[in-house]
Amino acid sequence: MKKTFSNTYIFVYSAVLVVVAALILTVVSVSLKPSQEKNQQAETKQMILKTIGIDATRDNADELYAQNIKESSLNGNDYFTFPGGVIIPLKGTGLWGPIWGYLAFDDGGSVKGAVFDHKGETPGLGGEISSDKFASRFIGKQMCEEPIHLKKNADKDNPYEVDAISGGTMTSNGVTAMLATAYEKYSDVIPCYEDCEAISALMMEEEEQ
Amino acid sequence: MKNTDLIKLPFSKNNPILVQVLGVCSCLAVTAQLKPAFVMAISVTVVVALANLIISLMRNTIPPRIRIIVQLVVVSTLVVLVDQVLKAYVYDVSKQLSVFVGLIITNCIVMGRLEAFAMVQKPWPSLLDGIGNGLGYSVILIVLGAVRELFGSGSLWGFPVMEKLGLYRIGYENNGLMIMPPMALILVGLIIWWHRSKNKELCEQ
Repeated sequence: MKKTFSNTYIFVYSAVLVVVAALILTVVSVSLKPSQEKNQQAETKQMILKTIGIDATRDNADELYAQNIKESSLNGNDYFTFPGGVIIPLKGTGLWGPIWGYLAFDDGGSVKGAVFDHKGETPGLGGEISSDKFASRFIGKQMCEEPIHLKKNADKDNPYEVDAISGGTMTSNGVTAMLATAYEKYSDVIPCYEDCEAISALMMEEEEQ
Repeated sequence: MKNTDLIKLPFSKNNPILVQVLGVCSCLAVTAQLKPAFVMAISVTVVVALANLIISLMRNTIPPRIRIIVQLVVVSTLVVLVDQVLKAYVYDVSKQLSVFVGLIITNCIVMGRLEAFAMVQKPWPSLLDGIGNGLGYSVILIVLGAVRELFGSGSLWGFPVMEKLGLYRIGYENNGLMIMPPMALILVGLIIWWHRSKNKELCEQ
């Protein structure tokens, strides 16, 4: 009952199969690319808007982005400004692949909002960095003198510590590394409480004079 | 075997996780919470069903010596294809699914069913077998996801059940072990134990 197949048949069969599969995937990938890219761009804009508390839908993201966000750059590092603060992009690697995010600072230097996302972290563990619950832990923190780092049982009152994800240690370490890199790049851009103090000290001096 | 059995048996007597012990790896990986478990369950069901159908249609032309490779090509093409389409038209669903793509391709249930069933059966029973096994897998995944999220994170589908019940105020704490993969293995073991004690004929002598 078992059929036998010649070597030639096997070679031709596998070659045809692979070519057909590749063709299907190529055609699909090329034909769907424009709408995929549009979705991705809209998503990036949605993420950036979310850090300053604007919930945009995919349809109005372009418009709201144009109204609220300006793109700037310092020494070739791109960042964004909004009325009342700056937004810095974050890029790094988690356990399984790239992770990224945006961090918005108000003029006072404290974090106004954060968003994170990932390509392939384990759902329910490291993947939790994309949740609102995790992002909200950053609100009110600052990156004035050192980068924010993730820590188990972080001190809520310490402005540089954020609670790490239980079961997602490797991804949490990735987030910490990502924040450190961003701090190196953007420390001149990130507003600082000290600036405010310095400015108010200056103003006091001027008043005294 | 009757066609209805193809759907019914995988739920209990021939459950892919409990009896065939297939697909355990993904079952440990994605059940820390209910929602990803649910997405994974649906995705695997769709993929097993379609892959079973396609392989069954091709079965007489596949040379046995390279059958595994052929199956793998079909499954991965299918999964990537579905992911691409979702990315273009239902972006949010695709975001949920993206991390699972690799896990679906390597899911032992898919390969197991192709090897054991679709290679030797007609297309219609193969499709049913795929759906049945997918659903049998789904049941276990959803149970595990619910238990692990409830006791590990104190919530269900993201809804903070334990907090609403006020259990934290009287000293209740989430069980950290629940969200670690080993706990899923222990839970699967417990379910298998319970299942075998109900179905004595499954026990090996």
